Amino acid sequence: MADRPLYAGFDLGTSNSAAAIFDGERTQVIRNAQGGAVTPSVVRIDKQGRVTVGQRARRLLDQDPENTATEFKRLMGTGKELPFPAAGLTRKPEDLSAEILRALRSDVADQTGVTVERAVISVPALFELPQSAATSEAARLAGFERVELLQEPIASALAAGWRADDDGGGTWLVYDLGGGTFDASLLETRDGLLRVVAHDGDNFLGGRDLDWAITEHLAARLAGGGGLLLERRNPAHVAALRVLRAAAEDAKIELSRSAQAQVTLAQPLVVEGTELEVDLTLTRAEVEALTAPLVERSLDVCLRLLTAGGLAPGRLARVVMVGGPTLMPALRARVSARLEATLAEGLDPMTLVAQGAALYAATAGLDGRAAPSTRGTGKKVWLQYPPVSADLTPHVVGRFVGADPPSRVTLARADGGWQSPPAAIGADGGFVTMVNLVPRTASTFAIGAVDAAGAVIEVDPASFTIVQGLTIADPPLSRTIGVALASDQVQVYFERGAPLPSRRTFVHTTVETVAKGTAESVLRIPIVQGELEHAHLCRLVGTLELRGDRVDRTVPLGSKVELTIELDRAGCLTARAFVAAIDQVFEHVAHLLVPEAAPEALDAALADQRRHLLQMRTEAFRHGLTQVIEKLGTLEAQLAQAERDIDAAHGGDADAAQKARRTLLEIDAALADADLARKWPELVDEARWAGVVAVSTVGAYGTDAERKLLDEVMAALDRAMTAKDPAELGRQLRLMRRLTNAAYFRDPDAWERQFEIVSSDLGSSTDLPRAKQLVDDGRAAIAAGDNARLRRIVNALWELMPVDAQARRKSFDSGVR
Amino acid sequence: MSDAAERLAENPFFVLGLAPDSAPREIEREAQKLLGMLELGLADAMTYATPLGPRPRTAERVRAAAAVLRDPRRRLVAELWAAAGASPIAAAGARGDAGPPGDGGG
Repeated sequence: MADRPLYAGFDLGTSNSAAAIFDGERTQVIRNAQGGAVTPSVVRIDKQGRVTVGQRARRLLDQDPENTATEFKRLMGTGKELPFPAAGLTRKPEDLSAEILRALRSDVADQTGVTVERAVISVPALFELPQSAATSEAARLAGFERVELLQEPIASALAAGWRADDDGGGTWLVYDLGGGTFDASLLETRDGLLRVVAHDGDNFLGGRDLDWAITEHLAARLAGGGGLLLERRNPAHVAALRVLRAAAEDAKIELSRSAQAQVTLAQPLVVEGTELEVDLTLTRAEVEALTAPLVERSLDVCLRLLTAGGLAPGRLARVVMVGGPTLMPALRARVSARLEATLAEGLDPMTLVAQGAALYAATAGLDGRAAPSTRGTGKKVWLQYPPVSADLTPHVVGRFVGADPPSRVTLARADGGWQSPPAAIGADGGFVTMVNLVPRTASTFAIGAVDAAGAVIEVDPASFTIVQGLTIADPPLSRTIGVALASDQVQVYFERGAPLPSRRTFVHTTVETVAKGTAESVLRIPIVQGELEHAHLCRLVGTLELRGDRVDRTVPLGSKVELTIELDRAGCLTARAFVAAIDQVFEHVAHLLVPEAAPEALDAALADQRRHLLQMRTEAFRHGLTQVIEKLGTLEAQLAQAERDIDAAHGGDADAAQKARRTLLEIDAALADADLARKWPELVDEARWAGVVAVSTVGAYGTDAERKLLDEVMAALDRAMTAKDPAELGRQLRLMRRLTNAAYFRDPDAWERQFEIVSSDLGSSTDLPRAKQLVDDGRAAIAAGDNARLRRIVNALWELMPVDAQARRKSFDSGVR
Repeated sequence: MSDAAERLAENPFFVLGLAPDSAPREIEREAQKLLGMLELGLADAMTYATPLGPRPRTAERVRAAAAVLRDPRRRLVAELWAAAGASPIAAAGARGDAGPPGDGGG
């Protein structure tokens, strides 16, 4: 034990959590005190304030639901406090997650004798920034010194790939149906490097929804006998429904093994003082029929993902199944059939994620053991090497600290099979050398150093270890992050898939004055996350504010704001804005919580979207647009689902409210998409026209490289037109416009033409006297042939053009452009 | 310095000091080595050569460069630009840092 590293990984799941360790060669799942490989994510606090976690708490879920919390992962980042009335306490979801982590951490200590200080915790791929921040906070509360977050699909693929005998080349799909979320990810391995090609998912589709589908079916059957219909929207029915749901869940699990199951209640079903008679059986066929729509929905996501990745079904090298619900035989058969692929066998869907997290801890160099107190006596050397390497011959970089470094170093593998040639040490004490690894295991290297005379020098540390195996180089960003502009557009700072950590700076211009000393005068810079083109369709994740009561001097309209956003390896965000005009830096980002979803607001949004949908359908029928009609059909089903969730929200289910809010947001985006499809002929015309302009402009002023790129864009545009894909067409159009612009402004007369265009619309400028002055300056610049000055003047004039107030309000009241 | 020229100077192949025909494995190995050298502050890794003169090399640039080259489509674009980098037109620097109205981006 002593010399081996200990890498720990934790899977903090919606219904179940797990822990695993990796020692450089093998992963091992940690069993809890009850001997189970998974620990239910359930926390109970009794009236003395004592905390019970896991299996023991789960048993109390039926008897004492008021003081027992579960599925709090889905509320992470919402700031909602969960009540524990017996103890008179409330706890945030991150507090409860911390309790689970604390329990798992002590299980690791029981089994290994090590209290891990550093670890990796997995999060769903679609977790957003506030949710990730809450997870990091939970780890901090649980006492970890340092954690890194890892996306669950990467963890699963890493664990599955580590076990694979072959190099595992090709494309894999990870199908992860958890308690509360569904994730589908396409991954590609090449040269031992794992890369996420694309992922998609549904933040609110999970085993829990399967359970509710069965529960609602049972409730309907109970009512069918002339009885009372239990409804989620009725607060008086909530307790009874919970009992029924627990029974449904048990029956579902039993049906994984047998064809029929009796619905047995843990306690009588009592509603408003009357006990309901329950005598029901469920068959496997019934459950399959009930869960089929949800399974199909998950498979729709998978097929959408395959299309996005340019892959036909049947071309997948393997499908990795993750999550408890994937144990259902019918589900497995259906996935295999529709994806035309074989499922990877011999992997435990319940603990795969935790194992992958432990493997990743090695890649990230997060040894769980506390850092040893430096008691080495030798010459101190800093080392940089990949703790896990796919490459059989990676580089090791070192630098000796202090004066008189040795003159040469030699690295020798502990098995005696290999030794490096002596590497010379540079003037700054540094050296770089390649090492030779043994495939699929850990190799330890001893560092040998000699001085100029050839005498041996003792170094500290004396050795280091590298594991050869599958790696992922840098965790990529899962969602595009940018700033919402007053025009309701988004300035993208980081594209999805960007490597982390990362930092970018852009200069914005304020569209409003911030008056010094006035608390009401606030300029907002909204930071949003999402792939959609319009800011209001993206998710607000934080706001940087320039407040009148904080500024040293008044910040006039049109001031430059230099905004820098930084993301660390775990995707946590910091931002700073520098306002040169008053020489002041603003750093405090109000970290937003996932917005609250009041049932009344959801009702209004639902009614609004229903109206919009109806209107679009009427029009689509009138014009015979079958594609649009089909699309609207699926949206209607989603609206019906949202309505059911809003009903549950009225009954006090905060989680269902969040789910409904998300669904409505997605429908909104889909409606915008459908709207685009309706405008297809117009869009095609636009693309044709833009193509003509691009060819002539780039042809006349473009560079060779630009011409080649234009050819590619034109080809992609053609493909998008054939596929009738408005979103892709839009993307390619943007690329083409950018190329056209680059070429256009190489024409010496371009700025003069732009000047004429912008000065023809002076009347609407926000500052007429200044605009007039600029126009006069511009004329002078043209007369003097000063193109550089003219360009500055044109840019300044553009900034004086007004911002559409309605767009700005939609764009989270953004104060910059 | 205009945006286009600056983009050329940030070409991933220049940042990593590799030829445009380098294999994926070489790219990973070089990026890992450079990150290690930068972390330890070794002078040899601090700058990189471009047709527009030496530029400071940072860990962020190295990471971003490796990420671009992992994506076949983005890699192709980088190869084109790296090859075009030698041509006088591109090296002279292109303007076009401001978009005309209607291009979005504000």
